[in-house]
Amino acid sequence: MRVMGVGGGAREHAIAWKLSLSDHKPEIFWIAENRNPGIHKICKDNQGELRTGRTTDPKTIVRSARGWGVDMVVVGPEEPGFHGIPDALEKEGIPCIGASQDLSIIERSKADLRRLQWENNLPGKLLFRTFKNAREASDYIRKNIDAQPWLQNIVIKPARQSGGKGVKLIEDRLAYLHDDKASFKEAYFESLQSSMAAYSDIDDKILVEEKAWGPEYSLQCITDGKTVLGTPLVQDNKSAHEFDSGPETGGMGSISGPSMTLPFITSDEYDNSLKIVEGIVEAIQKKTGESYHGMVGGQMMLTENEGPTIIEMYSRLGDPEALNVLAMLKTDIIDIFQAIVERRLSKLKLEFTNEDAVVVKVVAPNGYPEKKDKAKGHPVQVFETNIKRNGCYLFWGSADLQENGEVVTGGSRLSALMAMDHTLPPASARIEKTMSSIQLTDGWGLYHRSDIGSEQLLAKRHNSADRVRRLYKYKEEHGDLGRRLEWVPKVGKVDPSQLLLKEMRGPEKA
Amino acid sequence: MPGLVGFYTFGEGRENWDASHFIHYGLSALQGRGQESISLAAIGPEGTLHTLGGKGDVEEFFSNKTSVPKGFLGIGQTSSYTNDHLVHVKAPYELVLALDGKTDLHENRGEASKLFARQLSQLLHSEKEPLKATSMLINKIGGGYSFVALTHKQELISGRNPLGVKPLETGSVGFDIAAVASETCALDVMGVDHTGPVETGEVIMFTPEDIRGNAPAGEAGNFCSYEYVYLARLDSKVNTLPVARVRNSIGRELAKAHSAKADVVVGVPETALPIANGYSQESGLPQEFGFVRTGENVRAALEPAQKERLVGVQLKLNPVKSAVEGKDVVLVDDSVVRGNTLRNTVLNLKRNGAHQVHVRIGSPALVSPCPYGVEIPPRDELISSYLNEKELASHVGADSVSFMTVEELQHAIGLPRQNLCMRCFENGGVTR
Repeated sequence: MRVMGVGGGAREHAIAWKLSLSDHKPEIFWIAENRNPGIHKICKDNQGELRTGRTTDPKTIVRSARGWGVDMVVVGPEEPGFHGIPDALEKEGIPCIGASQDLSIIERSKADLRRLQWENNLPGKLLFRTFKNAREASDYIRKNIDAQPWLQNIVIKPARQSGGKGVKLIEDRLAYLHDDKASFKEAYFESLQSSMAAYSDIDDKILVEEKAWGPEYSLQCITDGKTVLGTPLVQDNKSAHEFDSGPETGGMGSISGPSMTLPFITSDEYDNSLKIVEGIVEAIQKKTGESYHGMVGGQMMLTENEGPTIIEMYSRLGDPEALNVLAMLKTDIIDIFQAIVERRLSKLKLEFTNEDAVVVKVVAPNGYPEKKDKAKGHPVQVFETNIKRNGCYLFWGSADLQENGEVVTGGSRLSALMAMDHTLPPASARIEKTMSSIQLTDGWGLYHRSDIGSEQLLAKRHNSADRVRRLYKYKEEHGDLGRRLEWVPKVGKVDPSQLLLKEMRGPEKA
Repeated sequence: MPGLVGFYTFGEGRENWDASHFIHYGLSALQGRGQESISLAAIGPEGTLHTLGGKGDVEEFFSNKTSVPKGFLGIGQTSSYTNDHLVHVKAPYELVLALDGKTDLHENRGEASKLFARQLSQLLHSEKEPLKATSMLINKIGGGYSFVALTHKQELISGRNPLGVKPLETGSVGFDIAAVASETCALDVMGVDHTGPVETGEVIMFTPEDIRGNAPAGEAGNFCSYEYVYLARLDSKVNTLPVARVRNSIGRELAKAHSAKADVVVGVPETALPIANGYSQESGLPQEFGFVRTGENVRAALEPAQKERLVGVQLKLNPVKSAVEGKDVVLVDDSVVRGNTLRNTVLNLKRNGAHQVHVRIGSPALVSPCPYGVEIPPRDELISSYLNEKELASHVGADSVSFMTVEELQHAIGLPRQNLCMRCFENGGVTR
């Protein structure tokens, strides 16, 4: 059997690793934009090869898949899905694990995801508005901030995935800093508008959402379009530095286990989260008329208004969250892929270890994420025996294997170290002990977050979960879960959800 | 004693933040640490360090919108000393330094800070690894201090020397803002979530590329006990302990070991109120609101001129007559410096009809000046250096005066003795 993978990050390295452990002994082929040293080795050891090429170009991918005569393709990252790689492959009769272009809209367009939730009245949503330009956004907020107080504390996002444009979380709770927060919002609207100007295919450029707070977690699922199976919850850490400070990254490390849920998330919350993801899959299939087969994930948060809530959707596995669930996975990965392809997931016994917790820590060169050019091109040295001796696993990310056998940094997250143990803190400590096994030989620095999986950070997560849980449980007990009621002087009772629905319907009827 | 604030921003659009607005409110929250001098430094995209120093009042200082330095990174300092401003070193490596406490490089605090700033500048200029170099510097230079420095290369360096006598806390919010401040209350007021203390011997460096920290040696430190008694704000945490909880414990310890036969407990506003509350809870005596303050919250012990202070005390604390009239009163205060406040307060209570007044102090007698820059006056101005409890009672006109012991205070704070600095309560008081 021949399997081909697409994508060159730590997530894809982990998928390749699981493929290499399959009893089906597949031959492993790969296409990535970088020569990932880990994937390169696995392909070589399994009668395949890693080829570099544009992973968003359907022609390149189809040509290689046909050339190699593969039986199945698994797509790792989101971009190939956005560019219709799975569609192109399936048109050629090559089964593909990955969301089609139309289905991946749940990740590509943050605005469409919210509309889908509100149109179908699905649980776990947030208030939102979309705007065509900065002026419209600024005017709307200025005009409505008193009548709709949620507009004070907002998340600003590009309405669709847009190269490198980040998310801004702006809390405007202190009257004396209101002007500062308001003008920062407006400046960021301007900046989004100019970078989104290139996308003429959509009207909405700017998305504004209600800012929620609470512990975040990812629920990654496997689906064949009929059945959605959940995997263990994982918590990623998006801030670059210790104790959630510093700029947003793709994820600096993640924790999971030792059971299906996290220490600070209840099993009820797991079940409700799974229902929420199922609801999205059902709704997007209905809307597009297509069948979803591949990975789908909810980046979730416990929030005071909704309980489990979707922050964003994944149309793939998370990176680094994939490493956690793949490490805990006991079922043969080829059996899973075949069940997806043959649409018989309901019969599959999907098993995960319930004895081990998993900690993943990402190692990044200094300069990431704000100055990637400075972070790029540094030679890497790895002491593999040391890593093994400490019972850790190394997954390569933004790394490039050169012709001369040297590995250099690609500027993004270089690699991830993973360790398993009965609980999280000892696994975290083991990675800390192993960190010096990865170095840059030119003296440029590497960094990671030592706090991930530590008792201290876990205590902080517990604390946040307990506080927000008391709030949403109170709402639940009073029959108010999902309801947001305001009373505004001179206006009276305001239900921002009703206002949103009215505005969503409005222009179409007019 | 100064209060420090450092404000750092990340990410796209960072140039749109105005650090001075945040530092303004951060310093407002730290005015309890001093309000004689204030200064601010900021740096913007053009890369020039702008600084401004002025007289104490925070609101007045920031109301002058045209002269306040603008930029998306900044540091600020409010100080209880006159003309105590940020140190600006222009070469070889331009930086501005705010420092709480005192390095041992010179007798004079200001000079000692200048020498420290110069050494830091020299090191940043010559060393390849600024973090390591700064870490070595604070291990080399003695004294007791915390500092925040801002460089022309948009670096913010914060640190606490291994003694850890001076507090320093860190916080962040969203993906855009990080801050450091002497007390957590300043972070709260700036809308920044507290992430934890700067550890003893720790250096945290914020640069456009990253946030880096050294691995502190893990020394337990020698924390200032007077922070818990009086200096820190009630809504702050100092070395992870909530000040409010410590002051309540102090009140309870005081009630246990220094009981008095009385009808009511009355605290001297503001610091001693939570101590009086703890005393009331432990003793079962009701706590009454004994005074109403007029005018702003000026801390009597830190006010410079004695004459002003005498006027200030009388103006500030007007007794609530009905709360004390005809009653025996336990009067709780946090500490006694020169005894003026106490004398006035006791006299005022008695004039308003209080019968007996038993003074209970939520700290040991102050007998020595602070080597790390807290404005405890010289020994010859400290009344407890001369008078024992009985003599002090006669001097202030109270029916009894009783101080906590060092052991009781340590127990109330709940940290091991060796981790608490209590030098102002020890070292050669004349008589007790």
